[in-house]
Amino acid sequence: MTAATELRLLKDIDEPGLDTIEVYERRGGYSALRTALTELDPDEVLEQIQAGDVRGRGGAGFAMGKKASFIPKGDMDKYLVCNADESEPGAFKDRVLMQKNPHLLIEGCIIAARAIEANHGFIYIRGEYELQADVVERAVRAAYERGYLGADILDSGFDFELVVHRGAGAYICGEEMALLDSLDGKRGNPRLKPPFPANAGLYQGPTLLNNVETLCNVPIIIELGPEEYVKVGSEQSKGTKVVSVSGNVQRPGNYEVPLGVTCREIIYGLAGGPPEGREVKCFFPGGSSAPVLTGDEGLDLTYDFETMAQAGSMLGSGSVIVVDDSQPLVPLALRLADFYRHESCGKCVPCREGTNWTVKMLERVESGEATPMDFELLAQVQSNILGNCLCVLGDSMAMPIGSMLEKFRAEFEQHAEEARARNEAAVVEQAAPELAAAPLTGPA
Amino acid sequence: MADGSRSNGSTRRDLPLVADRMVGLDRQIASGHPAVAAGWDMPVDLDKDPAVIPQLADVEVPEDLKREIEWRMSLYPDPRSAVLPALKAAQRVHGWLSTDAMRQVAAVMKVTPAYLSSIASFYDMLHEDPVGRHYVYVCTSVSCHLVNAKAVYDAIAAAAKKARLEGWDIREFECLGACDMQPMASIDGRYVGPLDPSDAPELVAAIKEGRTPLPGRGLEDEDYMPAGAGDPPPHEETQ
Amino acid sequence: MPRPEPKYVTFEIDGREISAPEGISLVDGAKYGDVEIPVFCYEPKLGQAVGACRMCLVEVEGIPKLQTACSTAVQDGMAVITNSPRVREAQNAVVEFLLINHPLDCPVCDKGGECPLQDISFGWGAGRSRFIEPKRHFEKPLELSPLVAIDRERCILCYRCVRFSQEVAEDYQLVFLERADHTYVGTHHGHPYVAPFSGNIVDLCPVGALTSSAYRFRARPWDIENGGSICTICPSQCNVTFSVRDDSKVLRVFARDNAKVDDGWLCDRGRFGFQAVHAPERITRPMVRDGGALREVSWERALETAAEGLRRAGPATAALAGGETTNEEGFLLQRLMREGLGSPHVDSRPGGPLDPGQARALARPDLAAMVPDIDHAGAVLVVDTELQDEMPILDLRVRKAIRRFGVKTVVIGGRPGALDPTADAIVRTAPGASEAALGALAAALGEVEPVEHAPSERRMPRDVAQAPLGGLDERQHGEPDEQGRSLDQGGLDALAGKAGTSAESVRNAAALLRDAGPVVVVWAERLSHGARGREAVAALLALAGALEVAGTEGAGLIEVPSGTNSRGLREVGCIPNLGPGLADAPEAGLPAADIARALGGELSALVLLHADPVRTHPDRAAWRRALAGAGFTVAFADFESEATRHANIVFPAESYAEREGTVTHPDGRLQRVRQAIGHPGEIRPAWSVLAELAVRLGAGSDPPLLTSPMVSRAIFEGVPFLAGITLEEIGGKGKRWQERGAAADVPAGAEMPSPGELESPPELAEPANGDLRLGTTRSLWAGRETEHAPILAFLAPRQRVELSPADGERLGIETGDEVEVARDGARVRAAAAVRDALPPRSVYLLEGVEESSASELGDGAAATVTVTRAEPR
Ligand SMILES: Cc1cc2nc3c(=O)[nH]c(=O)nc-3n(C[C@H](O)[C@H](O)[C@H](O)COP(=O)(O)O)c2cc1C
Ligand code: SF4
Ligand code: FES
Repeated sequence: MTAATELRLLKDIDEPGLDTIEVYERRGGYSALRTALTELDPDEVLEQIQAGDVRGRGGAGFAMGKKASFIPKGDMDKYLVCNADESEPGAFKDRVLMQKNPHLLIEGCIIAARAIEANHGFIYIRGEYELQADVVERAVRAAYERGYLGADILDSGFDFELVVHRGAGAYICGEEMALLDSLDGKRGNPRLKPPFPANAGLYQGPTLLNNVETLCNVPIIIELGPEEYVKVGSEQSKGTKVVSVSGNVQRPGNYEVPLGVTCREIIYGLAGGPPEGREVKCFFPGGSSAPVLTGDEGLDLTYDFETMAQAGSMLGSGSVIVVDDSQPLVPLALRLADFYRHESCGKCVPCREGTNWTVKMLERVESGEATPMDFELLAQVQSNILGNCLCVLGDSMAMPIGSMLEKFRAEFEQHAEEARARNEAAVVEQAAPELAAAPLTGPA
Repeated sequence: MADGSRSNGSTRRDLPLVADRMVGLDRQIASGHPAVAAGWDMPVDLDKDPAVIPQLADVEVPEDLKREIEWRMSLYPDPRSAVLPALKAAQRVHGWLSTDAMRQVAAVMKVTPAYLSSIASFYDMLHEDPVGRHYVYVCTSVSCHLVNAKAVYDAIAAAAKKARLEGWDIREFECLGACDMQPMASIDGRYVGPLDPSDAPELVAAIKEGRTPLPGRGLEDEDYMPAGAGDPPPHEETQ
Repeated sequence: MPRPEPKYVTFEIDGREISAPEGISLVDGAKYGDVEIPVFCYEPKLGQAVGACRMCLVEVEGIPKLQTACSTAVQDGMAVITNSPRVREAQNAVVEFLLINHPLDCPVCDKGGECPLQDISFGWGAGRSRFIEPKRHFEKPLELSPLVAIDRERCILCYRCVRFSQEVAEDYQLVFLERADHTYVGTHHGHPYVAPFSGNIVDLCPVGALTSSAYRFRARPWDIENGGSICTICPSQCNVTFSVRDDSKVLRVFARDNAKVDDGWLCDRGRFGFQAVHAPERITRPMVRDGGALREVSWERALETAAEGLRRAGPATAALAGGETTNEEGFLLQRLMREGLGSPHVDSRPGGPLDPGQARALARPDLAAMVPDIDHAGAVLVVDTELQDEMPILDLRVRKAIRRFGVKTVVIGGRPGALDPTADAIVRTAPGASEAALGALAAALGEVEPVEHAPSERRMPRDVAQAPLGGLDERQHGEPDEQGRSLDQGGLDALAGKAGTSAESVRNAAALLRDAGPVVVVWAERLSHGARGREAVAALLALAGALEVAGTEGAGLIEVPSGTNSRGLREVGCIPNLGPGLADAPEAGLPAADIARALGGELSALVLLHADPVRTHPDRAAWRRALAGAGFTVAFADFESEATRHANIVFPAESYAEREGTVTHPDGRLQRVRQAIGHPGEIRPAWSVLAELAVRLGAGSDPPLLTSPMVSRAIFEGVPFLAGITLEEIGGKGKRWQERGAAADVPAGAEMPSPGELESPPELAEPANGDLRLGTTRSLWAGRETEHAPILAFLAPRQRVELSPADGERLGIETGDEVEVARDGARVRAAAAVRDALPPRSVYLLEGVEESSASELGDGAAATVTVTRAEPR
């Protein structure tokens, strides 16, 4: 298999006890931290991260090193926040990283904090990940006991406190500004940007916020050295990516691949493709927020940030949801829209009302009450949401729904038509069962 | 203002208001989320005093709960960051966020009960109604939807009803971050999957009898194998 | 924080070049070019923009996505387009989204005709709705409180009301509940939203979702006329608009935004209290006591009887002016007393004497701060006052300064207050121990060695950070000194001990103030009332000296007076030893406390001008005796009271909606009170009645005073530092006299003492046998509004006995228990209220309430009382 390459993040993932500090250390863990704290000064750590050129694995794909370089210098209170809210349908890579290899994340947090000279860190874990939060909390305690956390870590003079913070069930808290508000003790509503977290984030202090997987790459960059690190990956997407594959595939799961393999390799080669006899109708390359690609247009594209964007979709958090050709799209669209309607924070108008309206329209399509004009309206409502919201949650519904509607309009119309016909038949049956029972086309 | 001058009567909302909260729930949408929030059409009770920050001296707080909340508050530069852990702790102690539970948190954190309500009602895992001390969240979100999760939910709900399972909040849930186990459910945080509607009676029976449901199929179980792992090629690292 | 100097920037909007002050939002900047950008959620008074409604989207050159104009600051050289097809499309989309869940019931909506949603839908909407799903419908409106109703169908979730509750008033009772399209505005578990400023949400709501229960369905905008005036209910003197029908009925009161006074906010007492104007029990005809009962008589008879009685008493007459008395009325009152009756006994303060030199020192323009100084102060020091009760709008102002501008706050006082959670330092004293506390603070400021203290760099403005619910760091509390005094007799320790606090907490406060920049000191008049009022004011002046208030731009003192117009009354001469313009009175008279003692003895007649001393003054028993003992009493009153019950003559008094004249804001701003409605019944203006009495007593003016402006002019001529001012100059926004040239004519006052020159305060009284030190406090709601405005009746304060948890435990008393407070045989019964933050050995009672007022226990000065569980009656 061409995708075969050295695993980085999932290297020892099935090693029993990797979540204990002993095993992790035995596997070479915390040596990157030692390097970062004792051999490099903070600026050098930052330089290495920048040179590693890892793009954010949480969705937006923004270069982590660049974001870290925006954090002002100086001895004000600064914060490192790890986004472990992983709540987007289709995403489950952070769960495995935290559960199986929590110390890699902790090590990443400490090194990243060192780079920006932050003394406080928080890992915001979604509330449903109770097991994973327990594991990370235990690991944090162990790291404190070993002196990797707390005051004067490894005699470097660097202090760092790390707190595991559990959410309580709200997808929007994965959005960085909403996460900060939630961590501030407020409702998880996104705030306006600017100011950006790098200037005024948590408690109004400069804050670096990164995804779990992004931070897990940090010790690897330091360990391998940036030159080595960037050898894997595509032109604009360096390193490996843990891809969560789910939906209509035979082997759903997390697969670490070098960025730049083809989608076909991921969907068919690794995840076993759709069930026997089925074809890929379409797939979401970057979680449920990504516009769908049809099998034909997408399978042979390379899986990296730039190619997915060029194809009109996105790599996002790196979650591939496969839809096979037996699946009707209307119920899927409805279920997806309803997710966003339920998870909208309600703060801004286009998202709050647009998701709600979209669900209601799709319900009509599903129940046979829609007219052909409704599809035009449905599409317009999506474009009225796009780009007009406070954060991109609204877009996250408008993009996939819009793309499904665009690429599978005929199926939507047919679905509505069939539902209407079913309804009419039902009405007739209710009114005059004998009539309905009689064949419509003349006597046999 | 009239704070201390009007004594706090004890017409507290300790009895579940589920009955009046059902008003307006008739229109349900596809996934079972009600069309309008409960409480949307409720006036206030003018006989109540305004809900100002309670005086700790007037509120009895279980010592453990008080200690936990204070400890949580000490972990953050701003003590209000501890609101989610504090509410969760209170929910654990009381089973739900009753008016009394909220008052206790409010008194320890020195915040208004309304602040706590605004938080509690925002998050899916906090409950101001006695929905049940334990939960079964059945994921019916996108990936699970594609593999028939709704049937799994329906089967579990029906089995629970049949078995008269009480004290459990059984509901459809948004993606739980375990699509590799699709379709799956979280039982008080223990992820089980993949599920089939035929698993429902045993799952419910185990819950009812206090056994671990579906041993070996929980994410943290020693011998857990995710879907398809039995088929060649085995998963993840052996590519 | 230095006051920002506005700098102008030039930018382009829809192809036109305009300039506007740097840093303001595009929404406001566009107005400089007469371009209107529609908004719903944007309201700068609420703080930073939230960007929730998305109505204000515009194109900004160089930025691909549409930007919210509310949150984008104008910048030099930027180019903005507000009318392109793209922008139009977004605006249409937002309006369409908003109307999805809006009932469009405009014909039956109070907001109809003055509704931003209506206007914007018309101006920026596409004029159609394609939403065919059923809208949600519910019974409505629902009560949110006795004052405000909510119609959730109409609500567009713009955040204004909840931001007000959370970030302006900081009462945090009104919140968003649930999320997504289920979000709604509400309170905790069905509790009403009752808080001092709740009514402002009615003004803020851009749709008809929040309506005033007092106004609902009373009128449509085209039935009414609006007139501007001043709310004279409390010293905040907010600028208001009366909505009036048929020149006779006030239908509502709403804010008339004046950033120098009120920032456009009102308290609920001011917003809803107008109902008292139309209370059926108002006195509207003159009355004379006849055979034991008051009988309505003609004006002629009332005036003649009054003149005759006063003439008889002559110099043995005393007069009290109540706090709501206008400058004109007060001026004529003192003139009537001094010139018509030859009596110097006129007072507008409730307690003991005011030292003339100190009065003049306190009036020094260079010691005066004005309200907006609070915004840009380095620190605000609040001395022994609960602003929320005594000058509510100032409470909002201090909160704004803290939240928006990062101003530091130091609170001195015995009773835990509403500002405590936001304060940077608290000096918790024994009740009434401010003299020692101020002296200690002045001394600490003089200490050479700066002490270690909490980090002093300017705190982040809280606007963007946190609401102040987090409580205060323990270390910042003044450790209440268990012994009540320190063993160390030296300097600061001794002084702190006499204040019932610790030297450490005083030093901490001093360190904070020393580094902060200009300090605005907000202090309560009650400091000057007691037996040691003179010494206490000296300590205040010493502190002002130590803070170098006089030489510092933006620093100064603001007094929270006991009555609305106390400052004006003092300056027009309603003080026993001060004539108009703070000049020494030709003959010094008795202050109120002594008048009470002398009535029935050397004094035989009493004029009560809008005054009810039994209700408002210390030592209720003394005043009851005084009123009973006065041979002849003339009362100007709008409602029956203890004053009218003893009066021989009652003149019906105007309400503030009927009055014409001027009042002086505590910061020196003269403001015009304008008549909004005609006089009900036979009411005449008090100034004209006083002028008429003067004529009858042979002290009429020449030329006769025929109009209120003539009286105003007489004041401006009689008070040197007001010389030359005119009513036009005062205008609709008021004028601070300190800002005019004539201000130099304030007579020289007392020297500012140095801390070392202060007389040593007495030792703190040591309560015996578990007794407690009594402190008193006022409630915002103690007043005629809660008695005569039906809508406010539910807020009428009831006495309660505030105790510390330690004392509660020791005495076996819990919140709600009936307790008895006794002193020298006088007793008050009320329910106990245990307060977490109250230091031990203190007990606080309300003054000014009808029943069981603290003043039943004497004059309250440094008293100790016995608190016990009450025997069941
Ligand atoms: C609605 C929404 C949900 C999001 N959820 C997550 C999430 O669960 N985890 C995550 O890491 N990023 C999430 N993001 C992206 C974050 O806003 C942010 O870009 C990311 O955490 C930054 O980290 P990175 O640069 O390391 O990717 C979400 C964004 C949006 C708009
Ligand atoms: S009630 Fe009015 S002010 Fe409050 S959110 Fe709704 S529309 Fe805005
Ligand atoms: S006014 Fe700008 S988003 Fe509401």
